[in-house]
Amino acid sequence: MNKQNYSLKAITHAHAWVGLVISSVLFIVFFAGSISLFRDNIIAWERAPHLSTQSSTAALSLDNTVTQITNNYDVNMHHRMFLIFPTAHSNYIDAYYGEHIEGGEEHDIHTVHNQHTGEIVGNGSLFDFSNFIYELHINLKIPGYGKYIVGIVTLFFFVALLTGVVIHWRKIIKNFFQYRTKGKKDSYLDAHNLIGVMGLPFHIMYAFTGLVFNLVLVYQIAYAVVLYQGDQDKLLQAAGYGEVHIEETNTPQAMVGLDDLYQDAQTQLGVEKLGYALIEHFGDESASITFRVDDPNFFATKKEIKYLIKDQSVLYKTLDNYDNQVRSGLQVITNLHFGNFAGYGLRILFFILGIATCYIILSGNLMWIEKRMKQRVKNEFGLHFVKAMTSGVFIGFAFAVAIGFILSRILEPDYLLRTQFIQTAFYAILATAIVTSFFIKQQKRFTCLFLQLTAACFAIVPLLDWIVAHQGILQMVKQGYFDIIIVEMMLLILALLLYLIARYSTPKTQTKTEHAFDEIDSSLSTQ
Amino acid sequence: MFVKTLYGLLMGLLLSISLVLNINLLVPIDEDARLLMGLLLAFPIWAATITWCYFLEPIKQILKKPLLVLVPSFICNLLLLFLR
Repeated sequence: MNKQNYSLKAITHAHAWVGLVISSVLFIVFFAGSISLFRDNIIAWERAPHLSTQSSTAALSLDNTVTQITNNYDVNMHHRMFLIFPTAHSNYIDAYYGEHIEGGEEHDIHTVHNQHTGEIVGNGSLFDFSNFIYELHINLKIPGYGKYIVGIVTLFFFVALLTGVVIHWRKIIKNFFQYRTKGKKDSYLDAHNLIGVMGLPFHIMYAFTGLVFNLVLVYQIAYAVVLYQGDQDKLLQAAGYGEVHIEETNTPQAMVGLDDLYQDAQTQLGVEKLGYALIEHFGDESASITFRVDDPNFFATKKEIKYLIKDQSVLYKTLDNYDNQVRSGLQVITNLHFGNFAGYGLRILFFILGIATCYIILSGNLMWIEKRMKQRVKNEFGLHFVKAMTSGVFIGFAFAVAIGFILSRILEPDYLLRTQFIQTAFYAILATAIVTSFFIKQQKRFTCLFLQLTAACFAIVPLLDWIVAHQGILQMVKQGYFDIIIVEMMLLILALLLYLIARYSTPKTQTKTEHAFDEIDSSLSTQ
Repeated sequence: MFVKTLYGLLMGLLLSISLVLNINLLVPIDEDARLLMGLLLAFPIWAATITWCYFLEPIKQILKKPLLVLVPSFICNLLLLFLR
């Protein structure tokens, strides 16, 4: 074997090995990420049919909102308060803050307010399924280290992309339209290559932007140590993060005049609809409020203005990403990752490419399994483990998400343990799927049925929507909010894709060899 | 494969920091633009180094070749930091 072939063999082996090791986490990240492209729509889908409608044409009032909050909760001054203004998906103000509870502790509060009267119309934390999926995407719902685990997996996803390009480079044009249907491994390989080549710019963009979000800390530390003598603040200043900060005085201050500041911010920033406000040191003399908004005329420009609430003086104002290249660059990276710069067309394309990436991950594992089965490897446990993880984690995750959607729709909106119940059910289903797939004898049949069941569960959600919440949905549609329809379409596309994978991945009749492999596998799993 | 992976991970990190630091110290542009350029280059260098380590055989080559890039780059870092 010459040196070039030897290197190609080594890189092919590395591609398969890396792909297999990261496959489970990467699948979860891509599947949850694809759904999270419609995060705001899903939040509206889950809660809007249950909240009271607003018909008033009065102006938005922050003063009324803050008054309602202080009347009902003991707000923690040290905790930041976020006020998210109404958007194309929501007619309400969402408030996030911390509340003091007995024993000196605090807990996070999320209330939903009527934008005019400030009246609390709902408890936002009861409708949190979309954020749960999003957290699975960014950190697997593991506080602290989860972000870095996802970061390392993303790094190896980047490596898998580079090795894949090296392996396929010479055939990238020649085999572009090749799709062989006869050999099962050949069809997996051709689908793997085809989707991989077509989606390459998308994959590289996601690998890179994901790395920046999750592992930037590594270079932040390195830069701070080497270039700024360990002074993190100097680095952050150079990177455009040197925001004005005022120390707490512990002197009480009424939180009034916010509506005037809102109007002034609209004028100063030259934008009619602001994005959100951030209040620091709520109730203290040093309290400040920052209004932020994306400039609708540019691809990735943030505008921001910060006021001292006490005397309404402007502390800081920027119309161009703090006039800093790092902030501008990160804003471009953020917009690319979230796909929020070209309407629903782009988001649907990203969604389909995201789910297609899940199929790349799945086909990679299936090729590895097919290859090992043909080799009749001695490590039977390893083979069974990969098979079980592939069906258990991949389909189990999709199934748990589908059940999450069903529960989000059918559980009572005022059930206080709603969010915990959905999350517990999600983990229980995923764990059951993994354990079941370890003990199941007929893996192929199980996989096919499980996929079909998952597709059916996704498809049933739109039906449940109209049975359980038809009045609320009609009300939303009348007001011009089409989030439910968008989410239903997304779920139906997902159901269709899963059904097609189930249908075309499993042959109608097994060949004698395949039957023999299944028999071997069955006997192994019983040992 | 574990050895290649871990070595590639470490070498990729060190190489990316070192090469990007050289660029940062050499290119005469604004500080924020240099930081952004470093961020844009660092991750691809890291991933490319891991890929490179997977290419190399036998183990002696894996240990040797990345060091042949890292050591001169590191010396360059020291010189540039000293002259700064």
